[in-house]
Amino acid sequence: MSLLLILLLPFVGSLCAAFLPSNARNAEAWLAGMVALAAAALVASLYPQVAAEGVIRTTIPWAPGLGLDFSLRMDGYAWLFAMLVTVMGALVVVYARYYMSPDDPVPRFFSFFLAFMGAMLGVVLSGNLLQIAMFWELTSLASFMLIAYWHHRVDARRGARMALIVTGTGGLALLGGMLLLGHMAGSYDLDAVLAAADTIQNHPWYPLTLILIVLGALTKSAQFPFHFWLPHAMAAPTPVSAFLHSATMVKAGVFLLARFWPVLAGTDLWFWIVGGAGLCSLLIGAYLALFQQDMKGVLAYSTISHLGLITLLLGMNSPLALVAAVFHIVNHATFKASLFMAAGIVDHETGTRNMQRLSGLYRAMPITATLAVVAAAAMAGVPLLNGFLSKEMFFAETIFLDRPGWQRIGLPLAATLASMFSVAYSLRFIHQVFFGPPTDELPRAPHEPTRWMLLPSALLVLACLLVGMLPGITVGPYLQAATDSILGSDAPSYSLAVWHGLNLPLLMSAAAFIGGVALYRAFLWRTGTEVPLLERIDGKRTFDWLQTTLMSGAEQAMRWLFSPRLQMQLLVLVLVALGGALLPLLNTGSSWGTRETTPLHPAFALLWVVGAACALAAAWQAKHHRFAALILSGGAGLATSLTFVWFSAPDLALTQLTVEVVTAVLILLGLRWLPRREARFTQGRPETARVRLRRLRDLLIAAAGGLGLAALAYAILTRPDIDGISPFFIAQSLPQGGGLNVVNVILVDFRGFDTLGEITVLAVVALTVFALLRRFRPAPESIPLPRQQREQNAADGIEETRVPDPDAKLPDGYLMLPAVLVRLLLPLAMLVSLFFLLRGHNAPGGGFVGGLVLATAIILQYLVGGTVWVESRLRIHPMVWIALGLLSAASAGAGAWLYGYPFLTSLAWHGELPLLGELHLSSVLLFDLGVYMLVVGATVLMLVVIAHQSLRRHHRRAGIGGGT
Amino acid sequence: MGSWQQHLPILPVVLPLLTGALLLLISETRHRLRATIALLATLAQLLLALTLLAMTDAHLPAPWRGEIAVYSLGNWAAPFGIVLVADRLAAIMLTLTATLGSAALIYSLARWERAGVHYLPLFQFLLMGLNGAFLTGDLFNLFVFFEVLLAASYGLALHGSGVARVKAGLHYIAVNLVASLLFLVAAALIYGVTGTLNMAELALRVQALSPDDRTLFDIGAALLGVVFLVKAGAWPLNFWLPATYAAASAPVAGVFAILTKVGIYALLRFETLLHATGSPAPFGGEWLFYCGLATIAIGSLGILATQRLERLAGFLVIVSSGTLLAAIGFRGTALTGPALFYLVSSVLGSGAFFMVVEMVQRNRAYAADLLAISFEAFGLQDPASDTEHPDETVGLPIPGAMAFLGLTFVSCALLLTGLPPLSGFVAKFSLLAAAIAEAPGGNPLPSWLLVAALLLSGLAGIISLSRLGVRVFWSGERSTPRLLWVEAGPVAGLIALCAILALGAGPATDYFRVTAESLHNPAAYINAVLPADAGGTGE
Amino acid sequence: MEIVFALAIGVMAGSGVWLLLRPRTFQVIIGLSLLAYAVNLFIFGMGRLRVGAVPVIDPLKGSNPDLYTDPVPQALVLTAIVIGFATTALFLVVLLASRGLNGTDHVDGQETEKE
Repeated sequence: MSLLLILLLPFVGSLCAAFLPSNARNAEAWLAGMVALAAAALVASLYPQVAAEGVIRTTIPWAPGLGLDFSLRMDGYAWLFAMLVTVMGALVVVYARYYMSPDDPVPRFFSFFLAFMGAMLGVVLSGNLLQIAMFWELTSLASFMLIAYWHHRVDARRGARMALIVTGTGGLALLGGMLLLGHMAGSYDLDAVLAAADTIQNHPWYPLTLILIVLGALTKSAQFPFHFWLPHAMAAPTPVSAFLHSATMVKAGVFLLARFWPVLAGTDLWFWIVGGAGLCSLLIGAYLALFQQDMKGVLAYSTISHLGLITLLLGMNSPLALVAAVFHIVNHATFKASLFMAAGIVDHETGTRNMQRLSGLYRAMPITATLAVVAAAAMAGVPLLNGFLSKEMFFAETIFLDRPGWQRIGLPLAATLASMFSVAYSLRFIHQVFFGPPTDELPRAPHEPTRWMLLPSALLVLACLLVGMLPGITVGPYLQAATDSILGSDAPSYSLAVWHGLNLPLLMSAAAFIGGVALYRAFLWRTGTEVPLLERIDGKRTFDWLQTTLMSGAEQAMRWLFSPRLQMQLLVLVLVALGGALLPLLNTGSSWGTRETTPLHPAFALLWVVGAACALAAAWQAKHHRFAALILSGGAGLATSLTFVWFSAPDLALTQLTVEVVTAVLILLGLRWLPRREARFTQGRPETARVRLRRLRDLLIAAAGGLGLAALAYAILTRPDIDGISPFFIAQSLPQGGGLNVVNVILVDFRGFDTLGEITVLAVVALTVFALLRRFRPAPESIPLPRQQREQNAADGIEETRVPDPDAKLPDGYLMLPAVLVRLLLPLAMLVSLFFLLRGHNAPGGGFVGGLVLATAIILQYLVGGTVWVESRLRIHPMVWIALGLLSAASAGAGAWLYGYPFLTSLAWHGELPLLGELHLSSVLLFDLGVYMLVVGATVLMLVVIAHQSLRRHHRRAGIGGGT
Repeated sequence: MGSWQQHLPILPVVLPLLTGALLLLISETRHRLRATIALLATLAQLLLALTLLAMTDAHLPAPWRGEIAVYSLGNWAAPFGIVLVADRLAAIMLTLTATLGSAALIYSLARWERAGVHYLPLFQFLLMGLNGAFLTGDLFNLFVFFEVLLAASYGLALHGSGVARVKAGLHYIAVNLVASLLFLVAAALIYGVTGTLNMAELALRVQALSPDDRTLFDIGAALLGVVFLVKAGAWPLNFWLPATYAAASAPVAGVFAILTKVGIYALLRFETLLHATGSPAPFGGEWLFYCGLATIAIGSLGILATQRLERLAGFLVIVSSGTLLAAIGFRGTALTGPALFYLVSSVLGSGAFFMVVEMVQRNRAYAADLLAISFEAFGLQDPASDTEHPDETVGLPIPGAMAFLGLTFVSCALLLTGLPPLSGFVAKFSLLAAAIAEAPGGNPLPSWLLVAALLLSGLAGIISLSRLGVRVFWSGERSTPRLLWVEAGPVAGLIALCAILALGAGPATDYFRVTAESLHNPAAYINAVLPADAGGTGE
Repeated sequence: MEIVFALAIGVMAGSGVWLLLRPRTFQVIIGLSLLAYAVNLFIFGMGRLRVGAVPVIDPLKGSNPDLYTDPVPQALVLTAIVIGFATTALFLVVLLASRGLNGTDHVDGQETEKE
């Protein structure tokens, strides 16, 4: 259970930290420090148990269905790491308290700091593969936030993003690897996986899995070729660099490699990938460290190199090497963290980290200098310090590595060379900063920091010394426990002694020292920033290049694959539809039906000769002669409705016809706002070949589409009738539907629900039209009256600026005569429409047609009367009509509930009505009435708002005149 | 004729209809009253959906036999009348709609509702269309409800007017009008061959078709598939999507997040209905899988290429659609459950994201952004940030509002890229795990392709979101937006839901698995709609 | 009959598709209405063609399906007509608004170099 506590503490702490006031440095520091210490204490308290039982587990079922359980697991190795994380955390908190400026908004800092600590503990303590991947990504996120803590700085933002993208990519690879691993082992449980080593190594997926997991580890541990992000992460506040980027987060990679060592290691693939990456990082890191001018830069590259050393050790496939690796993980954490703290102190006190400007600080800050010297010595591997021990073990491993031929020779040489570099840069780090002549052109006058700032660093240095001198009794047992927990039975026996006698490793060290000092001497005076030889290899530039090419490449691809043009979209849509329809035909052919066709009637043929001509002509004319096109398409529509008549579908004919009329009126009202076809589109440009080609293409597609639909239609038309659902309707129309007009009964009863939806669509569209036209802004050139009207007015001697007079007996102007007739027409139209509505159930007609008739009549008033004049007389409130229509239709449906029947069940009532005779009244009628009202409302609304646009002329003038 | 409960399935359709009509009668000026009504109605729908959810999962006693509710409108039994069918999947979609709807509605009450007239009624009609589409068990009725939700979506997409919206709206409408015509052709063709419109009976009759008729039916089904793909935003039928979503007002875009999923739903419904009847319909199958992959690829490219958060959000929607298509198209049935989990998570996530983006963008100069982004992208020194002292080692405090926005932004980013710890990760992981588990049996290539596509699209998301996010939050002028509870609340709520979904991953995945199983065994559905005793005209 | 009927559908659909692919909004709207006609006829055709059948039930003749035209497609067509009408109106208004705001009647709201 305490495992859970260890994990939760930091997260809870992070939450609390986030809500403290932004100037509460002490409170924050206390909180964070206490959390870290408490966690450390808890971890420490678990040691006896771990030592005794080997593994402690806590499992909380989370998603067993996915094989995901939230399980925590601590063995010796995890214990060592948890200890490292928590103790380092505590020390860095103390340091940060004094490092961060009083004006810094520390809540964010400490909250992310603790969040990171929690995530890191999660990685270490997870007993489930996916949990590891989860916390892994969380550490990346936390480090992103911490690197970008000073987010107003460009370098901070860039560094943070680079780190996030590199480690995030690795994290995704890791996730994939974990999934494969889990699948191979048959479980995501860590123990199960560790137990399934043989199965995994013999599985065909092993190489892929290995690559993915190693990818995750190398990116995280800043190993070649992904090392470049670490130096840029140095934009973070130094405490972050000390904690995340030297002691803990970057160790997660090697942690993982060691964790899965028993499962993945032992193959040549592992040796080459892991060992290779390690060796490259070891050498390149050390080499580049030589030429850094920023103190943190030196440390960053040396971190890469030391992590390379650890990776190399892990790649050697020998248990002893693993021991050395684990040992070096701890050692490196101690001395590198204290060095970072030193660098931070120098930066803090002098205001710069530039080694070219710094010099002779020893006099000003002796304690800092001493600490730095010892830590640097440990980094260089000076005897009696912890760095020496693990380095010797490393040398020993390189010698005893059983590989064929040149690898035997090459590896020790490389190791010595790297060690030589490390001596040199350690020397330079110390000598250039703390020794030499004191300089006085520093931003601030240097002096010792407060002793609290020195304390953490001092403690770490003390650790270096103790471990270095008395390894056996200090780290010995813990290291033993850690390595045992990884290696289990085949754990090697080894001795952590300072003195192993005069042997080859010692000679290598000696060589490294002499070489290192010589190397430093050789270019002590060089201060240039450019790196010889490796100037070419610059990770950052490659990264930026990759990123930009990725972006521009994506843009390029999108330009090809993703057109913003409507024509292209429609073209593709039509093509896809054609293809989709063609595919089944090609797979399994089909044939015309066998139904004997009805004899062809010449009149019908003639009708469609005309109809087709109309359609084609409309298509031809739509561009230049809109009016003609409108009329022609109307002709096609007329042919359609006549066809309906022909095949005895009066309802359709009636509806189609009325709709024709209304649509035509609508479009006519709209035409006025469209631009006149300017010459530039017609003659202006000669038709290029491209245009002609495209026309041809479209023509072919259109033909294909037409033929396709025709073929489909013919295929069905020639098929025999199917015993579908229609006989039921015909049979039940009268007895149960209570209507003779089957179609109408279907519309309002059998499938009334469709009709309800359909009128809703009409209503919605009307609303949209209204909403849109309220904001309508006509193009300036279409504001004035159209030419025809102007001429007419001129003929009648009416001046252009006349505002129609609402109070005139009759609408004045050239439409006076029709106006009279139309006014007489209105009541008649109402009657007709009601008639249609009422008879609909038994004869062609119905609410929809009725509504359209009335709407047409009303709009006629507008057309001839002029908006102003009409509206001064009859006020229609279309919105109310729409609402009432919907309500009555819906309530007609809902009425059935009262009788316990489902929605839209028809309730009938028979009765006598004067004039209309026997009448079959039913909820259905109420429903149809709803349709009627809605249609009237919606249609009138649409027509009226469009008609209203013509008033803008007056509004505008009124606006100018500043009146009415 | 039992209690009111038996009418439950119809209420999600009727309630918004009545509300919409009622709202039309109340004058626009009475904001508070209208808002209250709309809000109550939407919350009531949420309640209804939850009740249905509980009933279809037998947590509540249901007034109907079995777990599938069938509601015959006009008391006309299937296949003659129109039936509403509420099974698990429908209930899930209803709940999702109502949840997202409530959030978007609340959000829009702050300002967007006033950006034009009739926002609230249109919103209700959109919900009505969505609910109807999810519930109906009749092919043509599905068309009608598609039209309802499309018509409402046109209105909402154009809400507030303006050049960008009208331009995008024109394309959106044109494309969908053509799609609707295709739908009509398909539905008519299917009727012409099978003589029925009822989806359950369709499933039965398809088997009895002669090869010749079968081909015609397949053509109809193919056209239907094309229509659904347009709705789902599958490449190459989604050119309209990013522009439309980017131009639409934030809450509208937020609720549009579920619009694409209607297409997915329809595909899934028909695939499962037609497949299991032993008749390989052109739904699902290889091509759908590869179409999904292509969509993911295009979406990721778009994510990388775009420089505007709104468009980025649109492309994220495309990616999620692609993921779902690929998952549905994947052979076997193992991925359906995870796909449903992913659907829920991604809808909630992208819904929240659209609103967050708008809150963040609200007071920023977009042009400046663009410039700055390209500076950052091409690694140039950004003049804007030279003004800030580059070596300043004192951080700037982030005001609470900004912190909230940042937090929500990051949460959405995590959700949509499938990073831990929110539900996005669980969803992606379960998809990946299922795909990998499928690899050994049969051709492993699809598994690998899917795994790669999922991981890489996530990577693209990380790259682009971090680029734009860093740019928006951490540089340029820092004008802190005023944060209204009405706007912050819903966003936080949606994200909280995702967190809960992640915590309750166990029960959630089980539920989705059961849903998938019942989907892939449509006998239950068919029997519920056409009970043996009543007998359809089928077979 | 059937062949003419089918061809009629084909011609109207073809012209409609052609207009869909044109760059002017007005062309598109005319194309849409032509297509709508074609689709309406198509739906109607799904009930097969019958000449001289009775459209309205005649109680005397009884309800033998062979005497009547298939009502279902007719009902569908009616719904389709209404929805088509609504959407046409909407599209018209949107294209007007687009023309007003963008000053052009090109479908993309701006003149492309082509056509």
